[in-house]
Amino acid sequence: MDMKRDYYEDVQLFTSPVVVFWFAVLIGSLYLFPLVVDNYYIYVANYIAINIIVAAGLNLLVGYTGQISLGHAGFFAIGAYGTVVLMAKAGFPFLLALPCAAFIAAFFGFLLGLPALRLEGPYLAIATLGFGLTITQIIGRIELFGGRDGLHAPDITIGSWVLDTDKEFYFLLITLTIFLLLFMRNLIKTRVGRAFIAIRDADIAAQTMGVNIIYYKTLAFAVSAFYAGIAGGLYAFVLKFIEPEIFTLLMSIMFLAMVVVGGLGSMMGAIVGATLLCWLDLKLRNILDIPYIGDWLEQLSKQWFTLTGVSNIQYIVFGSIMIGIVLFEPLGLYGVWIRTKKYWRTWPF
Amino acid sequence: MIDLIQMIVNGIAVGSSYALMGLAMVIIYKTSEVPNFAQGEMALISSYFAMMLLSSFNMSVYSAFLLTFVFAVFLGCFLEFAILRRAKEPNVLGMIVVTIGIEMVLLGFVSWKFGAEQKTMPFPIGPYDSFIIGDIFISKLEVLTLVAAVLLMSVLYLFFKYSKLGLAMKATQQNSVAAQIVGIRTNRIMMMTWGISSLVGAVAGLLISPTIMHPFMMWDPMLKGFAAAVMGGMTSLPGVVIAAYMLGVIENLFGGYVSIEFKTVVAFVIIVLVLCIKPSGLFARYYVKKV
Amino acid sequence: MKKKLMLVLFVSLAFLLSLAPNLFAEEGVTDTEIHIGSWGPQTGPGAAWGAVPRGTGAYFQWINDNGGIHGRKIVYHMFDDGYNPAKTKAGVKELQEGTGMFAWVGGVGTSPGLAVRDYLAKKNIPWVGPSAGSMHWVKPPQKNLFAVYPLYAGEAKALVKYAVEKMGKKRIAIAYLNDEYGKNGLRGALAELKARGMKAVAQVSMEAKDSDLKPHVMQLRKSKADVVLMWTTPTHSVRIVGISKAMKFAPQFMSSSTTSDFPLMMHITKGLWQGVICGTFGELPDSDLPLLVKYKKEVFDKYAPKEERWGLFYYAGILFAEPMIEALKNVGRDLTRENFVTAMERINGFRGIGPEVSFGPYNKNDIYSRQGTSQTFLVQCLAGGKAKKLTDWMDTN
Repeated sequence: MDMKRDYYEDVQLFTSPVVVFWFAVLIGSLYLFPLVVDNYYIYVANYIAINIIVAAGLNLLVGYTGQISLGHAGFFAIGAYGTVVLMAKAGFPFLLALPCAAFIAAFFGFLLGLPALRLEGPYLAIATLGFGLTITQIIGRIELFGGRDGLHAPDITIGSWVLDTDKEFYFLLITLTIFLLLFMRNLIKTRVGRAFIAIRDADIAAQTMGVNIIYYKTLAFAVSAFYAGIAGGLYAFVLKFIEPEIFTLLMSIMFLAMVVVGGLGSMMGAIVGATLLCWLDLKLRNILDIPYIGDWLEQLSKQWFTLTGVSNIQYIVFGSIMIGIVLFEPLGLYGVWIRTKKYWRTWPF
Repeated sequence: MIDLIQMIVNGIAVGSSYALMGLAMVIIYKTSEVPNFAQGEMALISSYFAMMLLSSFNMSVYSAFLLTFVFAVFLGCFLEFAILRRAKEPNVLGMIVVTIGIEMVLLGFVSWKFGAEQKTMPFPIGPYDSFIIGDIFISKLEVLTLVAAVLLMSVLYLFFKYSKLGLAMKATQQNSVAAQIVGIRTNRIMMMTWGISSLVGAVAGLLISPTIMHPFMMWDPMLKGFAAAVMGGMTSLPGVVIAAYMLGVIENLFGGYVSIEFKTVVAFVIIVLVLCIKPSGLFARYYVKKV
Repeated sequence: MKKKLMLVLFVSLAFLLSLAPNLFAEEGVTDTEIHIGSWGPQTGPGAAWGAVPRGTGAYFQWINDNGGIHGRKIVYHMFDDGYNPAKTKAGVKELQEGTGMFAWVGGVGTSPGLAVRDYLAKKNIPWVGPSAGSMHWVKPPQKNLFAVYPLYAGEAKALVKYAVEKMGKKRIAIAYLNDEYGKNGLRGALAELKARGMKAVAQVSMEAKDSDLKPHVMQLRKSKADVVLMWTTPTHSVRIVGISKAMKFAPQFMSSSTTSDFPLMMHITKGLWQGVICGTFGELPDSDLPLLVKYKKEVFDKYAPKEERWGLFYYAGILFAEPMIEALKNVGRDLTRENFVTAMERINGFRGIGPEVSFGPYNKNDIYSRQGTSQTFLVQCLAGGKAKKLTDWMDTN
């Protein structure tokens, strides 16, 4: 692979001018994207971008620090509600409300990180799961947050510019996403990131080497909660209406699945995993419309199963993907990519 | 005073169904260190299978239940054989994701096959017939659940402690390579463990189904069962049952006296607090961490 | 790093290339077709309500097979949103901007509907009969949104009124689901009680996820209520009635129209639902109204898959679409959105299998210009799932 000779080479963002060129092409095409496609696809891209942010944050926690979190929907909800409430009830402008809500989410992440210091495996899973569930229950009961009626998100105004359409929101969103992903990538390459990886691989050994576990574990929780909070705040504006029941356990499980399917410990993996799962989620809505498989499924349903329940195949598809990836390629989709790369590198031997 | 006793009785009643699910989870965790998220759906598919036998094939209740138990054991063994064994790198997160995947597949199948409408289970004991003692009532179904939970727990505890098979299971958990060297067929042991756990889950599912029967009915009992298992210590069978009852009683008391709205919240808060004090649960004997 | 970039570029190019060509979003009307869209949860915990859009689909199929509307066939687009507002919005956007819908009908759920309400309003796309009796559709009234489901608050008022006036009950307790639906019922009931100078002896709320309702029933029992008004999901109502019977607590139970499917309720409560009084928003499944019998024979028996049940949710799909079909017929051949809205506004006293539907010219201060129904009638469940009509259609203003 690409061998690094010293620390600075490893930390470098762009290793050569060619890389810079392609990167610029990528950024350019991302910005030009909304000008060539339908409005619906811009909405899909917005939705995917938000999930990419969450997946990247969760990847930091699960992939790089080796913890488990089944409650990220809770941080997502805190970000969403925080932004909307700060904007609607306290009159904050959007660019201030979003980071504030994210910091509130980070604070809760820190709080969750404290008991997580002593917990591992299924115990940690239950603690985070419980956290995710209780957050939605508590929000649902407080009238300030609209209770169970939900809140409508106000329009975003930056200066005097009102973000009304999906296209305008896309530009804001893609800028934020690129910025956050670059930040995450750099974070991983610094000593903070190396501390996280050390904790994942052997935390007692890391402690003996001088890595302050308390600080770094809670930091991991806080940063991943921050990312989830920002994504949540943006999600409130994509959907324009939020309600506690949107942030279900199933959402937390989907986030975790995105990270695992994409590849633990790889940012590329998180992006790909998020994109794939979100796109499948949206596309599997009308399973009977797929050209040949749809008809076959319809026949099958009429005979052995119920036609009315046929949309439940999406659960089967998701479950199979999750099982398949863990069984056959523990490194996720990124692992598949690495394998194909290795194969073609040594072809034709 | 009467209300207090009634609430405690309610708590014990609801704790029994949590205890059964928790038992099923702990059995698997004891042998293979896998927290099985698919437990609820395995129970679900067994219950729907029973319903199908009872309503479409018109079998008698006892033969249908017997067949269901056989089906449950086969299901557990099959899942272990086909899926869990193939996992190349069993770290906890991977296992959790695999079991969640299995759960989704099973859920999808049940919803696809049976539709989403609520069905009824032709169970011999109606869910709302009850015994009345003074002013306290407890339904017959709940008494049955309680008896089943305690009975199963005792049987399993004795099984694990005194029987050869149980000893082999404990050995497999502690060090599977050493167990293999000694001559224990670890693969078969794992398969049997999953089979037994699926059986316990099927019992739980059958006892829940008279009250309510739709594809999402097992999510809540499974979560609470899992929570009870974690609180009691994932390796201790009596611990799970006691923790489940504690959870049920505290939930009901809180709901009755303090606030009915935050009932579910308090359950998880208690668990987190317990875990803060005792990280491996209340009754787990040791927490060995390999460096 | 370079290889990773190549990967990203490749993936995004592939993604771009896989996108469908940019279809011109039409009004949804051609010489031979009208495109109408709807959504409903076919998966997930709310899947029982998935029967509503399926009913609408069968109804449209029947209309097409009987000649269509002025020579045009209805092309029905339904998608599954799993009761997830994000998916609802995605689906509505995709259909609206891809194929282009003329109008939307039905649509199950308050929160999914709220996610798309403003989007449809901004584009002035007509939407008839959202499947939820929430105040959000008509407060404030919108030009394009025609509500057919009677308001929950009104129904609760009617039930309380009946309990106090006709049955002489004094102690009324309310068990409600802690969401928009339950709270609307609560508000209606409390308003009616307040108008009579009474108060509810207990107000017990519960979450949709709660599976153990014994504490709630204990609170109800403690309040010694003689009427318990339930505004919850069918699942919860079943539990409340059952636990009350076990606890030997026997008030008069009243419930909202979502549980008025008596054959189903009797089946899943194993007979305990007998004696419960419900509001309704349409005819009962076994009523002998000729139109309902006709629908059952021609629509359900012919088009529904074999595991579908002739129940309230299924023909509710027909109920919500009836005013739309009536308006489409009245518009005639020259079909535009403005003509359609005008035709909807002209509907006055239309009765299908539901309550009387009347709209009026758009008046943003009058919710009844867009809330078409305000009638309900009360029924009591008898043995065997039969129903006894307690009142006739009555206004709930």
